[in-house]
Amino acid sequence: MPSLLVVVFVLQLTIHLVNTFGASTINSLLWNIYNSLPTPTSKSASEQKELKRQFIKIRTELNATSSQDEFARWAKLRRQHDKLLEQVEKNKATLDSTKTTFDSVVSTLRWLGTNGLRMFLQFWFQKEPMFWIPKGWAPYYAEWLLSFPRAPVGSISIQAWSLACMAIILLVSDALVAIFALVVGSASATKTGKPMKVPSGEKEKATAQTEKKEL
Amino acid sequence: MSSALINVDEDQLEPTLQSILDQKTLRWIFVGGKGGVGKTTTSCSLAIQLAKVRRSVLLISTDPAHNLSDAFSQKFGKEARLVNGFTNLSAMEIDPNGSIQELMGQAEEGEGPAAGMGGMMQDLAFAIPGIDEAMSFAEVLKQVKSLSYETIIFDTAPTGHTLRFLQFPTVLEKALAKISQLSSQFGPMLNGLLGANGSLPNGANLPEMMEKLEGLRETISEVNTQFKDENMTTFVCVCIPEFLSLYETERMIQELASYQIDTHCIVVNQLLFPKAGSECEQCNARRKMQKKYLEQIEELYDEFNVVKMPLLVEEVRGKERLEKFSEMLITPYVPPAGGL
Repeated sequence: MPSLLVVVFVLQLTIHLVNTFGASTINSLLWNIYNSLPTPTSKSASEQKELKRQFIKIRTELNATSSQDEFARWAKLRRQHDKLLEQVEKNKATLDSTKTTFDSVVSTLRWLGTNGLRMFLQFWFQKEPMFWIPKGWAPYYAEWLLSFPRAPVGSISIQAWSLACMAIILLVSDALVAIFALVVGSASATKTGKPMKVPSGEKEKATAQTEKKEL
Repeated sequence: MSSALINVDEDQLEPTLQSILDQKTLRWIFVGGKGGVGKTTTSCSLAIQLAKVRRSVLLISTDPAHNLSDAFSQKFGKEARLVNGFTNLSAMEIDPNGSIQELMGQAEEGEGPAAGMGGMMQDLAFAIPGIDEAMSFAEVLKQVKSLSYETIIFDTAPTGHTLRFLQFPTVLEKALAKISQLSSQFGPMLNGLLGANGSLPNGANLPEMMEKLEGLRETISEVNTQFKDENMTTFVCVCIPEFLSLYETERMIQELASYQIDTHCIVVNQLLFPKAGSECEQCNARRKMQKKYLEQIEELYDEFNVVKMPLLVEEVRGKERLEKFSEMLITPYVPPAGGL
């Protein structure tokens, strides 16, 4: 069993990641993974893909066929088109209902695994000190605040530790995002930074126009 | 079906309506298609041919623009009437849009299917969409059943109308099932309010009325199952070799398939056959266009009896002309030699 300190930190990191990427993204990612496994829905999902592909193929063919010049061909395509459309819609309805169930189950599990677990840990270990701070480091009111709500005074409570983890994670992630933006931004700036070549006549004209505007 | 008539050399089915004449179990025959393609002429001709091989034939027009009277040059009404010159062919014209007022009027005089319903419940029953049309339809069916014709031919209204007409049984059955359920659920409560004998304000009786509706429902569902039986019912599509008519025909055939109504005959009407060396520019151009669509029809409907009927130089009206025209439904028309 890893230390509670590490567990809380990892938990906070997970919550932060889930919040950043968004629940729906994670759900669809899990859905895709679930479908790539040999599950019963994966078969119907791949079938649906195949059906859709066929449907689009037939539709383009149908659109490319003149109904007046080749009526027989057009009508046969039309029959296939209608049949496929019906199948696609029927399949889609069943798949959608499966996906809704899947989504709700995954959402519940995700909540239980993140916020639920956090609440449980904070409740279960509320009286437990995470670690002790040396005596005299902080004034009494600070000690009291750090041990809020129920940990013994002079220690760090799980709530305080969680908050600290969260703050650090936020700071670091913001810093990472900022650095990333800086790097990418400067790279793109050097790429598009060159002035456009403009034929001299037009340039003069352009400057004339701006001058006019300034007047 | 006599197999001798089938042309074995080609894959196509015989280009006549002989199969309908031979199928003795057929009771309901619908003739339908786009407006102005010759539905009435075709249905009259088919009726004449059927009258030769059946005990009794009834021709019903459900087209609001009644043409039977014109075709036979004889006035027909809401009651079946023998066609002049025939002993076993009758005709009648009904209006599927039979106005609700008419039915209400009948009910007040104590006749018709709605008789015996109280005013309030009558309003309620007539609030079901399409019930007026369905009721007049049911009335006709009841008449037809009691008259015991061997074969009944429907000359239907243009496409959209026909399909709606064929849907009524299903719609009405659903609506009536709902009403029956409601009445069985709330009937006891209503009876408690209304008194021991369950009489409604206008002297009507709730259970009695429900019985009536239930009877109507039974008639309709029986007919519905008959319509879906390919041994008893078939649909003859009439079209002309033009794009819109073909388009409507294809749509109709698909919809009929979705209602599980059998159809295996197509009559292609108004074909032009210019004589060899004809100088008529329009005729030759039209013949070319019709040929193109005819080829398409033969390619698309290879499982159908495709009957080709020529466009005549005279109007097909009156018994003699119809009889002559009807011959071509059975023995294919031979176009003049050397034509396009």
